Amino acid sequence: MTALLRVENLRIELATRLGVAPVIDDVSFELAAGETLSFVGESGCGKSMTALAIMGLLPDKVGRIAAGKILFNGEDMTQASDERLRSLRGNDISMIFQEPMTSLNPVFTIGEQIAEVLRRHKQMDKRDAWKRAAELLDAVRIPDATHRVGHYPHQLSGGQRQRVMIAMALACEPKVLIADEPTTALDVTIQAQIFDLLEDLRKDMGTAIIMITHDMGVVAEMADRMIVMYAGRKIEQGDVHTVLDHPRHPYTKGLIACVPHLVATLDEHRPPLTEVSGIVPGLQEFGKNECLFASRCDRVVERCLRERPTEQRFDKDQVSACWQANTL
Amino acid sequence: MSQEHTGQADGASSSVAHTGQTDPLTVHSKTKPVVDANVLLRVDNLRVRFPVKGGLFARKQWLNAVDDISFTIRRGETLALVGESGSGKTTAALAVAQLVKTYQGAIKLGDTDWLALSDEQLRVARARMQFIFQDPYSSLNPRLKAEDIVREPLESLQSVPRADHQGIVDRMFESVGLRAEQKKLFPHQFSGGQRQRIGIARALVTRPELIICDEPVSALDVAVQAQILNLLKQLQQDYGLTYLLISHDLGVVQHMCDSIAVMYMGKIVEHADRLSLFNNPLHPYTQALLSAVPSVDRELRQKRKRIVIQGDIPDALNLPSGCRFASRCPRVTDICRTTEPELKRHDVKQSAQSSGEHSVACHLVD
Repeated sequence: MTALLRVENLRIELATRLGVAPVIDDVSFELAAGETLSFVGESGCGKSMTALAIMGLLPDKVGRIAAGKILFNGEDMTQASDERLRSLRGNDISMIFQEPMTSLNPVFTIGEQIAEVLRRHKQMDKRDAWKRAAELLDAVRIPDATHRVGHYPHQLSGGQRQRVMIAMALACEPKVLIADEPTTALDVTIQAQIFDLLEDLRKDMGTAIIMITHDMGVVAEMADRMIVMYAGRKIEQGDVHTVLDHPRHPYTKGLIACVPHLVATLDEHRPPLTEVSGIVPGLQEFGKNECLFASRCDRVVERCLRERPTEQRFDKDQVSACWQANTL
Repeated sequence: MSQEHTGQADGASSSVAHTGQTDPLTVHSKTKPVVDANVLLRVDNLRVRFPVKGGLFARKQWLNAVDDISFTIRRGETLALVGESGSGKTTAALAVAQLVKTYQGAIKLGDTDWLALSDEQLRVARARMQFIFQDPYSSLNPRLKAEDIVREPLESLQSVPRADHQGIVDRMFESVGLRAEQKKLFPHQFSGGQRQRIGIARALVTRPELIICDEPVSALDVAVQAQILNLLKQLQQDYGLTYLLISHDLGVVQHMCDSIAVMYMGKIVEHADRLSLFNNPLHPYTQALLSAVPSVDRELRQKRKRIVIQGDIPDALNLPSGCRFASRCPRVTDICRTTEPELKRHDVKQSAQSSGEHSVACHLVD
C-alpha cells in the first residue's frame, strides 16, 4: 500500500493561558488512495485539530506544528509556503465542515461560491465556471440545478446546503476529502442521502475520505479503517470490523458499549448502559507521561499512572496504546 | 371531552377571532376515551398553529405545527415522540406543558383538565409537570448558584414550608449524583453532563408526575450521554416518574421508551409499543427512518435494505391534498395523492413479543 497521505509523529501545540499544551501528541497514520479512514472520539480529543493541521488551517499564533511531518504524495506540507498550501487546498485536499448553516457566505449565490473555487484553482473563465457549478450541483443531486445555481444559501434547506459544501469541496476533484462531522446537524434520512453521495463519489473519483465523527454507527457504515483519539493521542487503530468486534483499548470498548444501538431484533432485555465515568481531561493534563485515560478506566494499574502506554501491534494492523491491550 | 380554545398562538393577534360558541371547527374526539386509571396524560386532537406573516395586504396564513394528534401515557411509562426537525414533536411537547398556546384539543393530566386552568392555577399545577431542556448551557441561570437553581421551583410553589427546602434540595443533589460541595458552585463551573444533572434536579424538586424530556442528551458527548440516560431510568424507577421523551436519536428512543409515536409534518403517522415499532415498522416513513440509522450491529446492516427517501419535507404552508409523505414515499400510489390517510388501529397477530396497540396512517397498510 502506497500512502497518499502520511502523517509522521505529528505534535501540535496550542498556547493557552495555562501554558503550552500538546493538543496532538505524537500521532502517526497513513491514508491510501480511495479508502475511507474514520477518526472517532469525544469532543476535545483532537479529531478536528488533526484535520485542520492537514489543511494547514491551524489558528494563527495560537496553534503551531511543533514536530512531525505531513507528507502528501511525498511532499512535506509542514514546510510548504503559504502560497503552495493555498494551491494544494481546494485542489488536492479539501474539507467539508460541520455547520452547513454557517460555512456558506450568505451574500453570494451558491453558484458564485462554487465558481470562485474553479476560477481560482482551474483558471476557468466566468462562464465555464458557472456552467460547471451547475453540473456539480446536479452531481450532488440538487434538483433543478441550472435554476438553483442562482439561489442564495438561505433559500436552501440544511441538507441542500451541506450538498453545496460537498459540491464546492469536490469542484477540483481532490484526492483527499476531509469531512468533519458532515452530518451532525442533519436529520437521519438526509444523513443517509449524504453518505450515499460520498460513497458514490469515492467510487467514481477514487477520492480518499477522512471522516471525523463521534458516532460508531457512522464508522461501521462508512469507513474501512478507524483511529480512536483520546486527549490528543491515538489510542487505537485498525480495520473497522476488527476494532468493533474486538476493541483492544478500554476507551474504545466504552465508546462502543455506552451508546444504545439499534439492533437486528429488539427484545425485552434492556440492561443499563455501560458508563465511561468522568470526562475528557482538561488541556493542562495533556502531554503528561502517563495514560490520560487512567482516571476513567476500570482496569487501571499502577504502571498506567507512571508511564505513557506504548503502541502494541496485533493481527490485521490493529494497534492499541494500552498497557493491558493483551488481556482485553 | 374536547374543547375549543381561542386562537392564541399568536399572542396579541385578534384578527382571526375564534370563540367557543361560533367556531364551526369545534372538534369532537373521534376516539371514545377509554377509562383507564393508569393513564396519566391524555392528549386528544391537539392542534397548535402559528401565524405566518404574508405581505402587507396578504391574508394571514396559519401554519399547523401540530395537526390533530392524540396520545396517552400510562403512569410510570415513557412515550417517545420521534421525527425529523420540523415534524412538530417539540411544539407538541411545549403545548402539553402550556409553554405555547393550544389552538384546539384537550389535555388531561390525571383528572385535571389542563387547559381549563387559570394562569394562577396553572402556575401551581406546573409542579406536577416539569421540563428538562436540551441545552444545559443556556437553560440554567448563570447568576444563580446550583442549589438556588434547584430551589427556585420550590420557592414559587409556597406549599412546601421554607424550612424543608434545604433538606429537599440536598436530597435532590444526592439523587442526581452531584456532590454536596458542588451546591455552592455556579453553572459555568460544571461540565455539560453535570449541568444536565442540575437541570434534572430542578425538574424533580417539585416531585412531578410527568417530566417532559426534550432531547435531554443530544447536546452531550457520547460517553456522558450514557451517564444521563442511566440516571433518567434510575430516577424513573425510584420516583415512579412518567416521561414524555422527545428525541431524534432512535437508538436513545429504543433504549428509553415503552411506546413511540412517529411524527411527520405535524401528524402522528405511526404509534406503537417499543417492540412492534422497531421490529415491525409499518409506515413507509418509519421504515425509511429506521433504515437510515447507521448501526454497529453487523447483522442489522446485512439484513436491512437501506430505503433512501429522496427530497426534503414539503412546504408546510401549502400542504399536499393527500398523504403528507406522498411526495417522498417510495411506495406512493394514486390514492395517496388525493386522500389523506387516517391513523387507524392495525391488528397484527399478537406475537409473544408485542403488546398493546399498533396504529398507522397509511393507505397501503391494512
